Amino acid sequence: MKYLVLQRQVPDVVEELVIADDRKALDEDEVMYITNELDDHALEQALLLKERHGGQVTVMSVGGTDARDALATAMAKGADRAVLVAVEREGHADNHQLAAYLTGFVREQDCDLILTGVQTVDELDGSLGGLLAHHLGMPYVGGLAAVELEAETTTVRKEYPGGLLAEMAVTSPAVLGIQSAEQPPRYVPISKVMQMKRTLEPQEFKESLPDVRGLAISGITMPEPAERAEMLGDDEEEVADRIVGLLRERGVV
Amino acid sequence: MNCNGIVVIAEHLRGELVDITLEMLACGRRLADAAGCGLDCLILTDRSETFKGLPMAADGVTIVTDSGLAEFNPDTYMAVLHPLLTEAAARLVLVGNTSTGMDLASPLSMTLEAQIVGSCTALDLEMEAFVATSQLYGGKIIATSEFTTKRGVALLMAGNYPREEGMRDQMPDVQVREAPAPLETPRVVFRKFIEPEGEDVDLTKCPTLVAAGRGVEDEDTLEELNELAELLGGAVCATRPIVDQEMLPRSRQVGRSGVMVKPRFFLALGISGAPEHVEGMKDSDLIVAINTDETAPVFDVAHYGAVMDLEDLVPELIDKLQEG
Repeated sequence: MKYLVLQRQVPDVVEELVIADDRKALDEDEVMYITNELDDHALEQALLLKERHGGQVTVMSVGGTDARDALATAMAKGADRAVLVAVEREGHADNHQLAAYLTGFVREQDCDLILTGVQTVDELDGSLGGLLAHHLGMPYVGGLAAVELEAETTTVRKEYPGGLLAEMAVTSPAVLGIQSAEQPPRYVPISKVMQMKRTLEPQEFKESLPDVRGLAISGITMPEPAERAEMLGDDEEEVADRIVGLLRERGVV
Repeated sequence: MNCNGIVVIAEHLRGELVDITLEMLACGRRLADAAGCGLDCLILTDRSETFKGLPMAADGVTIVTDSGLAEFNPDTYMAVLHPLLTEAAARLVLVGNTSTGMDLASPLSMTLEAQIVGSCTALDLEMEAFVATSQLYGGKIIATSEFTTKRGVALLMAGNYPREEGMRDQMPDVQVREAPAPLETPRVVFRKFIEPEGEDVDLTKCPTLVAAGRGVEDEDTLEELNELAELLGGAVCATRPIVDQEMLPRSRQVGRSGVMVKPRFFLALGISGAPEHVEGMKDSDLIVAINTDETAPVFDVAHYGAVMDLEDLVPELIDKLQEG
């Protein structure tokens, strides 16, 4: 089996986000990039399948300089091959463009399963996996919490509201949108990643970007401050007092 | 089906419409009235009787029946939707920003040559164009975008339009038809549902919930949260990352793919307030949020909040409650 995992660098939303002067995108100078969390789950799921059934895991990492570091981490975790897709970011993700860009290269890899996170925090124009599957003429199912192989088919578990799961069989080759791997993404010691960083020479995929656009965002803003919560202060004891007061008032305790 | 109108793709599960369908109808109704176009609802099912008598707020309801449409399947759904939506020249297609809706949006966008706007919290008509308001970056940023192509697909997030507006006191024109083409052997086959693992606690029945987010970093803190929840006569629940790290079972997850809760008191500890989680708790009677990040979107949904480390607050709260 050949697995291909697509990973993307996305803004870390735990950090403070600053809007650029044109009010259409984030200020790139202020953005900290991390690997899209669900893409890490996609890698974990591929590594689990490789451990159970053998095969080769190729990781493609999309983004700026941080994408190279992400490849070192993926290789240290057990991926077999690294491909860097250096794409300079201009604002939010454009999955229509990215899917069109990656299609030819992904097709050439002749993989059985292509796994990627079902969504990212910076996309609005649909899922990369779904768009790529359409270009490749492959089936796509997203929102997956487990993937297992059985002879010619792949069995997946798709999440529904309320903890309900639907088991589906998917014909390979297929593109799968991962919501969570069957176990938390594995930890790899930083020393191992650093060692990998020094020696890793990833294959690079670079062509001119296709003239395809998913969506033009006309403006971005911070949410209205008027909707915000009433603040209870900054002293722990005082805040605890006020919370207990609120609960007594309402007869909760 | 009306030509050049707005079409809602109904979501249903085990013979019942899912709430998001009524919310999409409410949204679609307002838009169709503003734009002066028709609103249709498309229901793909194997049993038309279930949905025939519903007074949905659409002008037309088309029920497509086929034994292959018993459960959601992205392949069979697309085989039906593509010809029908092309024939109707749908101007705007509404799908849920859900596990199933997200599977449909991308292929619909490609085959209809339509723009997609995801994570929509509102859709409006401005200068004769549909304008979408969406959540970006985990709800920390609000984005506005205009549909510039002839056709559009919008993914509507749950909880933004009143469900009651999705029904009205008159019956729509209901048509039942067969699938436009025989559904070929799909590449995706639904096999079965797997019920949630043994419920230890039914979160929907707890009057108070102490919710753990990413800010809860270890088992000791979680133990303190259990103590607090016990004092409050409730239970501990969590966001997805805590469950993914296997700190709590899946049955404790609140949000889009977990449980939807409405307790009398919801204490959000170290929760940033990602849209997927907020969907599941925002209707709680009283929400108090504690987070070290003052820009966390959870403060937009909470009634009260404090910017501090939950590990400093929780012991104080336990003391106060024990003092009685």
